[in-house]
Amino acid sequence: MKKLLFMLLFALSTPSFAEEAKELNLYNWAEYLPKAVLDKFTQETGIKVNYATYDTNEVMYAKVKTLRGEGYDLVVPSNYYVSRMIRENMLTKLDLSKLSNFKNLDSKLLNQTYDPNNQFSVPYTWGTTGIGFNSKQIKMGAISKWADLWDIKYKNSLLMLDDMREVMGMGLKVLGYAANDTNEEHLNQAYEKLKELLPNIKMFYAESPKVMFLEGEVKSGMIWNGEAFIANRENADIQYVYPAEGVTLWVDNLVIPQGAKHLENAYKFINFILRPEIGKIIAEEIGYASPNLEVIKLLPKKVTENRIAYPSADDLKNAQLQQDVGDSLVLFEKYWQKLKVAAGKQ
Amino acid sequence: MRVNPLFSFKWFSAGLIWFWLGLFVLVPLLMLLTASFLQRGETEFVKFAFTLENYQRIFNPIYLDVFWNSFYLAAMTTLFCLLLGYPFAFLLARVTGKYKHLLLLFVIIPFWTSSLIRTYAMVIILKTNGVMNSFLQWLGLIQEPIQLLYTPAAVVVGLVYSLLPFMVLPLYATIEKLDIRLIEAAKDLGARNVRIFWSIIIPLTMPGIIAGSMLVFLPALGMFYIPDLLGGAKALLIGNLIQNQFLSARDWPFGAAVSIILVLVMSLLLVLYYFSILRNSNNRDKVGL
Amino acid sequence: MSLKRLSKISYMSLIYGFLYFPILILIIYSFNDSKYSFAWKGFTLNWYHQLFDNQELLEVALNSLMVAVVSASVATLIGTLTAVALYRYHFFGKKVLYGLIYILIMSPEIVMGISLLILFIALSMPLGFWTLLLSHITFCIPFVVITVFGRLSGFNKAIIEAAKDLGASEFATFRLVVLPMLMPAVIAGWLLSFTLSMDDVIISFFVTGPNFQLLPLKIYSMVKLGVKPEINALSTIMFIITLIIVIIAQSLLREKK
Repeated sequence: MKKLLFMLLFALSTPSFAEEAKELNLYNWAEYLPKAVLDKFTQETGIKVNYATYDTNEVMYAKVKTLRGEGYDLVVPSNYYVSRMIRENMLTKLDLSKLSNFKNLDSKLLNQTYDPNNQFSVPYTWGTTGIGFNSKQIKMGAISKWADLWDIKYKNSLLMLDDMREVMGMGLKVLGYAANDTNEEHLNQAYEKLKELLPNIKMFYAESPKVMFLEGEVKSGMIWNGEAFIANRENADIQYVYPAEGVTLWVDNLVIPQGAKHLENAYKFINFILRPEIGKIIAEEIGYASPNLEVIKLLPKKVTENRIAYPSADDLKNAQLQQDVGDSLVLFEKYWQKLKVAAGKQ
Repeated sequence: MRVNPLFSFKWFSAGLIWFWLGLFVLVPLLMLLTASFLQRGETEFVKFAFTLENYQRIFNPIYLDVFWNSFYLAAMTTLFCLLLGYPFAFLLARVTGKYKHLLLLFVIIPFWTSSLIRTYAMVIILKTNGVMNSFLQWLGLIQEPIQLLYTPAAVVVGLVYSLLPFMVLPLYATIEKLDIRLIEAAKDLGARNVRIFWSIIIPLTMPGIIAGSMLVFLPALGMFYIPDLLGGAKALLIGNLIQNQFLSARDWPFGAAVSIILVLVMSLLLVLYYFSILRNSNNRDKVGL
Repeated sequence: MSLKRLSKISYMSLIYGFLYFPILILIIYSFNDSKYSFAWKGFTLNWYHQLFDNQELLEVALNSLMVAVVSASVATLIGTLTAVALYRYHFFGKKVLYGLIYILIMSPEIVMGISLLILFIALSMPLGFWTLLLSHITFCIPFVVITVFGRLSGFNKAIIEAAKDLGASEFATFRLVVLPMLMPAVIAGWLLSFTLSMDDVIISFFVTGPNFQLLPLKIYSMVKLGVKPEINALSTIMFIITLIIVIIAQSLLREKK
């Protein structure tokens, strides 16, 4: 009994003990931050980072809502969720004077419509969603646009990101609509079109699409450019295509949820990330383009001239930036759910 | 001093458990039930306004399909577990000698082992360049790796693999209690084996069959990580639907309504179980046991 | 050996093979000196070294261990008292309670997970250590009750009556007579609760918070990133621990039978 009591007391004391410690609760995309960066940060500041990951904006948003902000000190929503979270008063207004390294950022990525003057968000990376394929299995040039994926010869060999906006957006684009279209009739058509693609889809997966390409589980499919960059580095057969209908463009941003408990630590972490040498570690490990001009100076030409991570102006022809669709999100959800149900019946 | 009336051991124990289960089982269930009749909130979790819409939505063809799909997958899983498990439990119950306990132990161990880890082991086996494909290629049965993982079949195999012990153990318990004299008597009276099986053994082991089926069918509906890991997030089970409503789509009332349906299915099975036990004891009375 | 006997033995071996072959493969590959390939490249303990060097993982494992020890202990305490009360006394709602406990064992975990989430949100409890602990205690209790009650059913009630006739109070009877006889079942109940808590994914998935992670959830997020030798090693360790605990629990339950 004494032992039990002791254990209970031990358990009781631990959470409060943890409260006093220097802590930071960071919630980020899977495969999006090298462990070395976290270790360096802890080593330097003594702040322990509780690191958890998600695979879609929707999951992140639901979790932050469920915790009413009082949980994560730092999350990394895409631009279209930044605007949504600002609109719903979910974010803390940033004091940019605390971020001495903010000046390193590329001004082209600042002051965007989703967050004018960067009052709430700091760009973390930006990238595109395009098509990846294994050139050992699929001829170079055979796939040049999204619509090519519908070819019956790719039966059961494609990966789709398990991401509502990406997949529905692709369906809309193939039909010639905008990826941010909210017209229900268009969404319905996109759903019907995507249903035709189902026999070709082997899996929906978003945590780390590169793994499935590298392990040969899929021959082609939707992939984020950073993941494609790493896959290509490990196996040169994995190629990335900018589809003719246009890639999807997005910017992921560091934000502090309203109600975060470790504000100062969050600022320290953002500023740490914006340091050129830290940004370099991140860019090299995760493969996405850095929004940090000082980082780009440090990176080898081989990287900054790689078209997978750093597209040319021509590659971005027809590119569309994902945008918040407001209340129409429910419609996206409806057709996405329908698509998933249809997939289950295959 | 005999018993302190204010702190009687009896009332303390009974009160404690009722308090605990009341607070952490009954109250949450009531809240779940309430939530299922509320509206979806825009910024909050629920809006406090009564509606039946969540239940009506379940009858929308999309969701009926989810139910149909997952009942089908769970039923297949249960069927396979029963077909594989029944003869196995029967043989196990008939084993005599010193190895019996050891053999039983080897069924109990997977029962308590993390099904996540066991599912992961299945991924290793079924991957495109995994153990099964390498083996088949080595045998020369196939030239190219075949598609095993990320299929509905992989989901069923994974579910059967995870849940088979849950079927075997209750079956074993009832079969072991089965009175062998009944079978002998029937044989003496000239009954054929098939007849003995269907009209004596099956009815007498019915409580085990139903209990095992419940222990397989219900978890099979809820194990959302198996379709995710083995089915490539294509097969949507009720568990995935519920999880999705709470952790992604943020439609708590609808998620609650789906969960309530799951509770109702469970209640139905429990009633069946109850009646099968009743009938069983009646049967025993009839044959004079 | 007759054909019939042979076919019986081969059928049983087949099922045991089905149950154990994947785990065996997992264990073997955790010693394989190759990161990507499934071909055998030689024996290594490398992945285990990496595991024990991973500070974060160790911390998460410690969290799991703490939750499992505390929740198993509390659940064993409450569960044992409940089993004794169910066996010894008649009280209001006894039959309902008995039924409820069986229903709890059968009920789908996902329903318990979300209903507890709703409760904690309604009570404005921050998700994390406490919500996990309370949830784990709740799903462990029924298993302890069943285990202990099973042993009690085999008891001779006369011994307890004798103790009371000799003037022992209820509590003294419990402590001096009932508990010692029950001890093996109580320990078994504790061990089984411990494994349940160590392995739980579904319920924890809903009630976990940002600054307190548990091992199975960590494994789940690792597994979603693909097959890796470290996960093989970690899974092997988890499996061996379960194996040992279940063997101890079972031998305790079989004792004096």
